Amino acid sequence: MSERSTAAEKHADGREQNIDALAQRLDRAWEERFTIPPLTESEGVTDAATAYAIQTRWTALRVARGERILGRKIGLTSKAVQEQMGVDEPDYGTLWASRYFPAVNGRAEAPIDLFLQPRVEGEIAFLIGETLDRPGVTPQQVLAVTDALAAAVEIVDSRIDNWRIRLADTIADNASYGGLTLGPWSRSLRKSDLRTVGMVMSHNGRPAVFGVGAAALGHPATAVAWLANKLQSFGIPLRAGDVVISGALAATIPARQGDIFVLEMHGQPPLTLRFV
Amino acid sequence: MKLNAAEQALADVIAEARRNRISMPGRAREWDVDIASAYRIQRHLQTQADCVGYKLGFISPAKQAQMGVQQPIYGRIRRSMLLEGEVRLSDFIQPRLEPEIAVVLRKALPAEAEPGMAAHAVGGYFLGVDVLDSVWMDYCFSAVEVIADNASGGAFLLGNRLLEAPPSGTLRLYLNGVLRCEGPMDALGNVEERLCWLARSVGGLAAGQIVFLGSPGQAVPAEAGVLEVRSADDPLLLAKVA
Repeated sequence: MSERSTAAEKHADGREQNIDALAQRLDRAWEERFTIPPLTESEGVTDAATAYAIQTRWTALRVARGERILGRKIGLTSKAVQEQMGVDEPDYGTLWASRYFPAVNGRAEAPIDLFLQPRVEGEIAFLIGETLDRPGVTPQQVLAVTDALAAAVEIVDSRIDNWRIRLADTIADNASYGGLTLGPWSRSLRKSDLRTVGMVMSHNGRPAVFGVGAAALGHPATAVAWLANKLQSFGIPLRAGDVVISGALAATIPARQGDIFVLEMHGQPPLTLRFV
Repeated sequence: MKLNAAEQALADVIAEARRNRISMPGRAREWDVDIASAYRIQRHLQTQADCVGYKLGFISPAKQAQMGVQQPIYGRIRRSMLLEGEVRLSDFIQPRLEPEIAVVLRKALPAEAEPGMAAHAVGGYFLGVDVLDSVWMDYCFSAVEVIADNASGGAFLLGNRLLEAPPSGTLRLYLNGVLRCEGPMDALGNVEERLCWLARSVGGLAAGQIVFLGSPGQAVPAEAGVLEVRSADDPLLLAKVA
């Protein structure tokens, strides 16, 4: 074996160990509820590929301990947020079932103590009905395999100090996933024009933000098609049964104990999330 | 797949015209090529690897009689032919536009499929535009010439509003606010029968494939401006031609 290849292997080993250590660090922050300095600053992790490797390792770590995967989330879908982050594509994370808060009669509760610096946003969720494992997925192909859609309230949260995130920070940090609740799955939403589906999010009884489907990359199915293609570039299919939340339709709102958020989406029953 | 000498001659003329973006006189000579050979040429020219679906042509019995065929014809859609919101005229030789409905399959449809299976395989219907681009001058061609030339299939636009059934009534195409083409949805025939015929003809359709069902009206020459396709109810396909 040449010296060069040994050095290369050592380098690769070092990188693997680093990815593993950072995944462990994020998981400790998640479990023990403390924030950490941005990895872009403390570790010099700046590229998306390494950040996705950390995120994937973190999910694997949790799955090995019994975590279940509900599906995926898409982030950074609005032009405003992309410009703010200096990026031109969205990112994705994994929906962990341990932070899914099922709604009963349109109402869900989430213990505020689970979170560090939670914020809330309204989205459209897709229920994927057929596995997408071919390259070059189009928005129409996404819609064709979508069984139903639902209103979704996502809790975003950051394990990074004061949300001081750059692209690689949020990707490594599971796209700032915090938790999720869903309205009932709707077949009728499948045939409505998702670009023009409107939503109002109320905060403690007052309408706070207003959104529309086109806010997510122009069309929510465009965001899901991006996700399917991105996952495939990592050799991961978007599977039948996966839930995908397709990106915020309006600005996020910080959440505190006792806050009540109500998401009203056109044609859907209202969905209430209370922080207890 | 190897073409014979007659097939190769026709294939070369089409490939050369396409490469140089020029049109060639059609019906100008005998190619000594039959319909089956014309489809072999089409398959040869359109690499199968990135085939994302098919388009149907000559869906009306009148057009079939005029062209001397007993069935519709089909062409292949490659991934790169799917446009997003804009048609660039400079990419084409003599582009024409047809308003269409496209089906996206959510399940595979085997070659021996029956109509019930076709209905089950359909994931949804979308408004579409077939941007035709024949290499044959003024679209004057014989059946074998147009089939070998991918049924004039150049590029495609798709709306992003899913319809669970084909729209009824009239399909209309507007260019710069002027109604340029319209036709009854009835002209598309029975969609399940068409899909089964296509599946039989091409040896089965894959999940995710897109099938453009053919135009209910006459193609119109493309020109720069705003393109709108509408059906009787609310869906809309809006694009820019530049």
